[in-house]
Amino acid sequence: MAWTNSMQRYGSIPQLLHWLVVLLLATQFVLASLADDLPDGIEKLAMLARHKSVGITILGLAVLRVAWRLLDRPPPLPPMPAWQRGVATLTHWGLYALLIAMPLTGWTMSSAANYPVSWFGLVQLPDLVGTSEDLHETLEEIHEALASSLLALVALHVLAALKHQFVDRDGLLSRMLPWGAAGRD
Amino acid sequence: MGRRRKGLTLAIGALAWLAAEAGVAAPGWTLQPSASELRFAATQAGARFEGRFAGFEAEIRFDERDLASSRFAVTVRTGTAETGEARRDGILRGRDFFWSERYPDAVFEAVDFSVSGEGYLAQGTLTLRGVARPVPVRFTFERLADGGARLTGSTTLSRLEFGVGQGEWTSTEWIGDAVEVSFDLRLSR
Repeated sequence: MAWTNSMQRYGSIPQLLHWLVVLLLATQFVLASLADDLPDGIEKLAMLARHKSVGITILGLAVLRVAWRLLDRPPPLPPMPAWQRGVATLTHWGLYALLIAMPLTGWTMSSAANYPVSWFGLVQLPDLVGTSEDLHETLEEIHEALASSLLALVALHVLAALKHQFVDRDGLLSRMLPWGAAGRD
Repeated sequence: MGRRRKGLTLAIGALAWLAAEAGVAAPGWTLQPSASELRFAATQAGARFEGRFAGFEAEIRFDERDLASSRFAVTVRTGTAETGEARRDGILRGRDFFWSERYPDAVFEAVDFSVSGEGYLAQGTLTLRGVARPVPVRFTFERLADGGARLTGSTTLSRLEFGVGQGEWTSTEWIGDAVEVSFDLRLSR
């Protein structure tokens, strides 16, 4: 399998970025809900610290992903109505935007609460804003609203992929699978 | 006779004043709280953050030429610790950390001063959360044109030596043990 995209399928690098982000994103929802249920204490602090480290990782991967998308043309979509094509494009760019906006709002809300973010305790990131409890609360609400939007877009994205795979049987899903059968390079 | 008495009283007064000025004590300074800062920096999850104490008092007697009679006595209201996040402030002031209800004041006292590099070293005692430990504080003392002075310095404490962080908080995996305390005090005569 080639590193870069072909006419038939995604390359190994974009595939790796895609599935890594899927894995980390699932981790994020688990960590966030675990932290939510914990009382104020060291466990909650630890859970949120991990959530922030994973979030920063996703931010880096999402930026790479967008750069790759802009530089390496993805395989063309199978034949479908124009409105579906439009929705697919919107969904993809919506997902990219949220994958970047989520960590950024999280990072900013941490800064506002004077909880500077470190990446796995290895690198401390600069604060994006000064300390402000009002700003922290506002950003927390935005962060949560964006999480719901992201979940909705992911659901749409997954349902569409499954529809193509099992209803249309056009091999769309296999373009993003390393063992996909559609078109050997 | 009135005249003679008065003269004697004046002479005694003058002598007493001279004695005080000559070496009984270094001059006393008055803290300007609104122009002074007492800050601390700790680490959580590997990231450094800062906070401050809004309430503190300082009795400072200091003279560069008379270190022997210089003296610091600083009282910090532990319940005024602020980090910009209410829940953390609550935990800090609570029983597991400062336990401000029971130990409202932390006190630093020093009478042992020496010259150190560009500035000075005070070997004092900090009493925090009921625990007294020797604490060295490095500082600089700068006389200002308006007759006042600026006293700046810092020291690094082990929070656990003073029992700041009980129970699960004794772990240093997520909250570091070292806490840097720094001050920038404006003094006037």
